[in-house]
Amino acid sequence: MKLIQLTVNGRRYDVPVDDDELLLDVLRDKIGAYSVREGCGVGACGACTVLVGGTSVSSCLARAVRYDGAELTTADGLPEDDAVVTAFVESRAMQCGYCIPGFVLMAHELLAENPQPDREQIVAHLEGNICRCGTYQEICRAVEVAAERRARA
Amino acid sequence: MKPPLHQPTSLAEACELLDTLEETMVYGGGTAIQILIKQGVLFAGNLVDLSRVPGLAEIEETAEGLRVGPMTTLRRMETSEVVRRRVPLAAQTYGHVANPRVRNTASVGGNIAHGDYRLDPPTALLVLGARVELTSVRGTRTVPIRDFFVDFQVTAVEPGELITALHIPAAPAGNSSTFVKMSSLGENDWPAASVAAQVDAERRTLRLGLGALAHVPRYVEVPLDGGGVDAAVAAATAAVEPELDPIPDVRGSADYKRKLGLVATEDAVRRAWEEAR
Repeated sequence: MKLIQLTVNGRRYDVPVDDDELLLDVLRDKIGAYSVREGCGVGACGACTVLVGGTSVSSCLARAVRYDGAELTTADGLPEDDAVVTAFVESRAMQCGYCIPGFVLMAHELLAENPQPDREQIVAHLEGNICRCGTYQEICRAVEVAAERRARA
Repeated sequence: MKPPLHQPTSLAEACELLDTLEETMVYGGGTAIQILIKQGVLFAGNLVDLSRVPGLAEIEETAEGLRVGPMTTLRRMETSEVVRRRVPLAAQTYGHVANPRVRNTASVGGNIAHGDYRLDPPTALLVLGARVELTSVRGTRTVPIRDFFVDFQVTAVEPGELITALHIPAAPAGNSSTFVKMSSLGENDWPAASVAAQVDAERRTLRLGLGALAHVPRYVEVPLDGGGVDAAVAAATAAVEPELDPIPDVRGSADYKRKLGLVATEDAVRRAWEEAR
C-alpha cells in the first residue's frame, strides 16, 4: 500500500492504494465518485472517463499510484448549471444515462480545446464513447448547443 | 501473481532495474499492458514504470526532423504543431490510433515496443525511415525501424533495454503522403488492413507501410518508371501482393484481408498522388 494524494473536484483526498489498483476503483470505492462507471474495461467505451488536469483519461486502464498529486474532475463535480450538462438535459441526449458522464467530460475537453467545433470534429472527439441507447444524434446536438451557449455567455 | 510496479526517478535507475530484475517489462502509458493483464495474458515478473523519469516526453526539432521522447503521448503526436509541420504523415497516422482518450495516455515508445502487427504508427514510421534509440546499462544503440519488427509480437528491443527516443526524418520537400485504415467491425477497432503511402517529388519512388496484413508491419519500396497514377497503382499492388500474409480472425478471413490490403494500397497511392498535384 502507498499513500497517494488526489484532488477530486476541488477536494483533497489522501488514499492508500495498492500498486495495481485502478483509478476507476479508487474513485468509486474509496472516494465515492459514482458517476465514474465501468463499461467495457478496455478503454473503448468511455463510461469511466475522468479529466486529469483537463485531459480525458480512461480510468479503467489507469493505475491510481501513477496519479499521485493529480487534480481530477468527474461529472459529479460539475455545477448544476454547467453549460454542457444543461445542454444534454435540454437536448434529451440520454435514455438510461449510464454513459452520459463520460460523454459530458469528453465534450468539456473538446470545447476547452476547440470552442466552436463543427459536427465532424464533435464526432471525431466523441468516437471513443459508446451509448447503447443510441442517442448519438441528440448528444452531438447537445454539444453544439453547449458550444453556442458558451460563445454567447 | 501480480508483477510489482517499480517507479524509478532517473534513467540510470530505470536501466539498473531493467538490468537486475527478472522478467522485466517497461510500463509506458500502460493502455496495452492493462488490457493484457485483464485478459490474463501478460507474462512479466516486474514492471518498470517510466512516468517518474524526467525528460522522456519531449519533442525536439532536429536538423533532419524530430527526436521524440518515448513517453510522448500519441495525442501530442497528432496535435503538436511541430509534428504536423515536419512530419504530417506521422501526425495523421497517430491521430487514427484507438480513440482520443486512449491517445491521451498511450505512449510513443510503448506503442512500438508493443510490437503488434496491426498498429497504425509503424506504417508511417516505416515509410519515413524512422530510427529507434535503445538504452541499457551497456550503452545506447540505434535500430532502423525497418529492422525493428522482428517477428509476431517480437521487436529488436533486447532484455535490459528501453526505448529512449524515436528519430523521425522529415520527408524531403515535394513529397506527399497519406494513411488509409480499413476496419471491418467498428471505427475504433483494430484495422483489417492499413497502408501508409508516400510518393517523392520526382515520382520515382513509392514507399508503402503495411499494417495488419502480415504477422509484422511490412515495408515495401516500389520504383516507378515515369507512368501516371494508374501505372503507379499497378506497380504498387504487384509489389504488395506477395507481402500479404494476413492472420484470419473475427475481423475477416485471410482472403478478405488480402483483398482489403490491395484496396487500401490503391486508395493510399491514389490519394498520395492526388496530394502531390
